[in-house]
Amino acid sequence: MASYQALRHVSIGQYIPTGSLIHRLDPRTKLVCFGLLLACTVIVSSYIGSLAILLVITGATLIARLPLGYLFRSIRPALPFIIVLSLLQLLFFHSAAAAPDARVLWHRGIVTITTASVQAVVVALIRFAGLLMLTSLLTNTTTTGDLTHGIEHLLRPLTRVGLPGHELALVCTIALRFVPILGEQAEAILLAQASRTITPQREGAWRLIDSATRGARLVVPLFVDAYRRSEELVLAMQARCYHGGRGRTQLRALHLSRRDLVALALAIIILIGAILSGYVALP
Amino acid sequence: MYDERGIRRVVNAGLLLAITLLLALTRIGFIPAPTPAGNATIAHIPAIVGGLLEGPLVGLIVGLGFGFASFTQATVPMFRDPLVSILPRLFIGVTSAYTYLALRKATKDQLRGLLALLLALLLFAAWRIYATPSDDGSRSLLVPVLIVVLGLALVGGLYLWLSRQDPRIVVVAIAAAVGSLTNTILVLTMASLLGYLAPGVALGIAITHGIPEVIIAAIIVIAVVAALRGLGQRKRSRVSEDAF
Repeated sequence: MASYQALRHVSIGQYIPTGSLIHRLDPRTKLVCFGLLLACTVIVSSYIGSLAILLVITGATLIARLPLGYLFRSIRPALPFIIVLSLLQLLFFHSAAAAPDARVLWHRGIVTITTASVQAVVVALIRFAGLLMLTSLLTNTTTTGDLTHGIEHLLRPLTRVGLPGHELALVCTIALRFVPILGEQAEAILLAQASRTITPQREGAWRLIDSATRGARLVVPLFVDAYRRSEELVLAMQARCYHGGRGRTQLRALHLSRRDLVALALAIIILIGAILSGYVALP
Repeated sequence: MYDERGIRRVVNAGLLLAITLLLALTRIGFIPAPTPAGNATIAHIPAIVGGLLEGPLVGLIVGLGFGFASFTQATVPMFRDPLVSILPRLFIGVTSAYTYLALRKATKDQLRGLLALLLALLLFAAWRIYATPSDDGSRSLLVPVLIVVLGLALVGGLYLWLSRQDPRIVVVAIAAAVGSLTNTILVLTMASLLGYLAPGVALGIAITHGIPEVIIAAIIVIAVVAALRGLGQRKRSRVSEDAF
């Protein structure tokens, strides 16, 4: 029975209220800083650079007073998989073209380990940890309502050039609102089918058409239900004279304070550092 | 300026995005299949359905959501790179939307003509591969023969299917397959371009993972679109209409 109840606990990054400095930042600031730091983690490919970025992100997590153990508990089930994959990468990733100056550390048969492949694996692992903490940092310190407001404000320039900024934010809000509802619906469908002796079998990987049909048995009612709910929502919005984002005001106005500017400046400085570090031969 | 269709598109995009998140964030989005990972994802199906039913823009938005979900949930380091996990996913709904728009009005004979064209292209490609000697001057027969056999099987199967099925359903299947292939091919191309996978490994994954996923996507998208649009319905019992 427990297998039917796992759906209800969908968490897209639980909000953890600790009231820290980072929690009190403007959501726009957090989104922009998130983007800038994300760019940093992807840009740097040296040991020192990626460690430095990881340190910055850890520091921010500590300032936000988020429990580090909680963040890493989520990847524990995937850990064996990550290790196996890193090993494969280490053993078989060697392209002389990509890194001509790499030294060969070990060579036997088809297995070649070079300094470049070691660096690729280690940096990828550090990057993984950094990105994990960064995403949690954003979603654990910002409520979904604030996130949508922030996204809508940031997309506002798009509206000026004719792109649907307000609509995009509305799509995000509707999606976040309906994930738990549709999750419950999926659960109800599974239970209804179970009560009619249809159980979700997990074996028989080679019987492709069978497993696709089994998938369709859950997915099709889910889509039909979603479209029915969508009709109801459209009707409700029309009844309330919804007319798009033009001239709409908000109950809670967003204000940029001095600490937002400081945070933005810091993120920009870190990004510039990351870009510059690409021109210096760091180990 | 803001008509009912506009509102409906926004709301449908939101709900498709919600289904995407639900499928991507829980294990119901995985179907057991003969792939290296042991299962195939169906979380990209809302993006394909969005492209087919609501147009390329909705397909793009839902694809973006799928990319974002796979980015935040990634356990494999290569999907922690937004260039691999988000960028390719934008095109899933877009390619299937345009495939569908291009083929939507096609008759059975036009589709048969397209199949003949596809077969000719495949045969030409096989001949080119056979005719170009590799670096050491040897000619390999395996790949061209494989292409010819698989191409004949694919075109023959589609031809048979087309002659006994509603062409609109075949078009939906083709569009779904295009969307699913877009996902596989673009993700693996980005991964090998950025050096996360060796090109040979990427090709292996493309064949072992891509083909089951295409089949599953085609079947489920047909089921969903048929249910939502009432395609290929047989005569139904009218009890419910009479009763109420």
